[in-house]
Amino acid sequence: MPVKKIITRRDFLRAGACITLGSFIGLPHGEGSPESGEGRSRVVLVRDRGVLDSKEQINRIALQDMLDGAVTALLDAPDPSSAWRRLVTSRDIVGIKTNVWPYLPTPAPLNEAVRKRLVEAGVRQENISADDRGVLRDPVFQRCTALINVRPMRTHHWSGLGTLLKNYIMFVPQPSRYHDNACERLGAIWQLPHVKGKTRLNILVMLTPLFHGTGPHHFSRQHTWPYCGLIVSQDPVAADATGARIIQARRDAFFGGDRPVTPLPRHIVAADTRFGLGNSRPERVELLRLGWQEDPYL
Amino acid sequence: MGMELPADRVPAGYATGEAVRKALFFLLVTLAAGSFSLVMTRKSFAGSLETLAEALDRQVGAWTATGQDGTYDGETIYDYIDGAGEVYRAYNMRGCLSRRYAAAGEPDIVLDIFDMGSSEDAFGVFTHDRDGSPADVGQDALYRQGWLSFWKSRFFVSLYMERETPAAKETAFHLARAVASLIGEEGRKPAILLGLPPQGLRDGSVRYLHHPMLLNYHYYLSDENILNLGEETDALLAMYSRDGKRARFLLVRYANPEKAKEACSRFLSHYLPEAEGKGPLRLENGKWADASLKGRFLAVVLEADSRSLAEDLLAEAKECP
Repeated sequence: MPVKKIITRRDFLRAGACITLGSFIGLPHGEGSPESGEGRSRVVLVRDRGVLDSKEQINRIALQDMLDGAVTALLDAPDPSSAWRRLVTSRDIVGIKTNVWPYLPTPAPLNEAVRKRLVEAGVRQENISADDRGVLRDPVFQRCTALINVRPMRTHHWSGLGTLLKNYIMFVPQPSRYHDNACERLGAIWQLPHVKGKTRLNILVMLTPLFHGTGPHHFSRQHTWPYCGLIVSQDPVAADATGARIIQARRDAFFGGDRPVTPLPRHIVAADTRFGLGNSRPERVELLRLGWQEDPYL
Repeated sequence: MGMELPADRVPAGYATGEAVRKALFFLLVTLAAGSFSLVMTRKSFAGSLETLAEALDRQVGAWTATGQDGTYDGETIYDYIDGAGEVYRAYNMRGCLSRRYAAAGEPDIVLDIFDMGSSEDAFGVFTHDRDGSPADVGQDALYRQGWLSFWKSRFFVSLYMERETPAAKETAFHLARAVASLIGEEGRKPAILLGLPPQGLRDGSVRYLHHPMLLNYHYYLSDENILNLGEETDALLAMYSRDGKRARFLLVRYANPEKAKEACSRFLSHYLPEAEGKGPLRLENGKWADASLKGRFLAVVLEADSRSLAEDLLAEAKECP
């Protein structure tokens, strides 16, 4: 018999920025937020069990297929080439914002898959750069007209989750200035002149996400699992919120019962309600599922 | 400096003669300095991370230190451990020494020694992660698969195995004991611990902290800092179990009684506005909560299974130095 969840004052207090019961509880949207009106954000979740072998090594062909399938579905395009040509033009200078965290970096094969499609869409090789911590010094990023945001999702000591939104923290010279209140103001970075409006695609890597971490290095292999997925969207908030629900569900299943992500990843909802960067609430997300459907945690 | 060689580094037949030499040396120093040396004893443990780095073997069994040691301060720590640096900063970290040991066919072992500036904060940061099994290293140690941590004196030490193997685990423990031995003397735990009611206090449940984010990390209370926590406050979060009834208890020490009173008032008005000084209040989930002042201490029962347990804990909380 299911146990009825009692909403406590703590639940109520954190409702503005939290994940409970496996789903986001969001505050009412700000009237003026540009992407949170009537529109819904499309998010594609693509999974392929064959993308990882028994040692969790990546099958490059399967990964390219996943990316292609996701981008094509996201944009309702007839094929991957057409889809990428809608994202970039030959005049674009493209920064691929990766994440180099050593225990769970953006996979090199995924960078290569993105780069391949960018070149095929007409972007010149010399106008493409993949970087993380050096983006402020990277000459391509300094003059970029487009950004592709690619990173794995993981729990994070101070922001609750390492997200697509958080991945742009390297676009400011002093990232720690955005650490207050569990990094709630990360959305503000997306409004800086050298960042605003440039992001064409967000890819949240869910191949082996980290759902729990302890200690200074915050990583243990036992707290990852082969989810074998990518979450792809033009809305970073919707992609992150979707990934967050998966992480939360996995935590609850692994630990048995409610085990909220801590600290609360309030920056996701804040990016929606305060900074107008996208949609965090499930009812504002149009989720397309492709590929492997087992244990989706969603 | 109070340095000691790990027992397994002392050659056979050496120990007795070395002990006599040490005793003579200590006697000479004591005579020369008179009683002053006794006053200095508390500060005579390993003086710095650099001292520890120099004294610590770079070869441990099959593992050898690779590359240069990393050293980080409160700003550069982000370069090393990303946002996790905030946890150590919240406990007033002074520095971090990082050394990576590698062995052929085995996982790397990453040794991190954090100088927290005080033994109280070394204890505090140790209590941030309390999962694991107790281990016999330093003043308190915990082992979980792939990670061993302990605290001693003003140092918090972490040994992280990138993948756990029997040999890596054995070496990590060996290294940990070597570091603990080099640190030498033990340090004090926070005095506020004396204020906790002892009966029913659950082993390993106590967390010592200053920062409101860390309280929220362990027990979400509010986005607002409704207890006015900060660098000048010491707080303990603890779990109790008495006669099958459980409670979560918070004790905070403020700089003075006025600040404690102000925090109490703020907490009650934000979190328990219905309480109105009438004793424990029943929460939405059926548990009981209340707060009371004792001088510059604020005791809070966040959740108790019964009214009487809440009342008893508040009555038994003590003022302490």
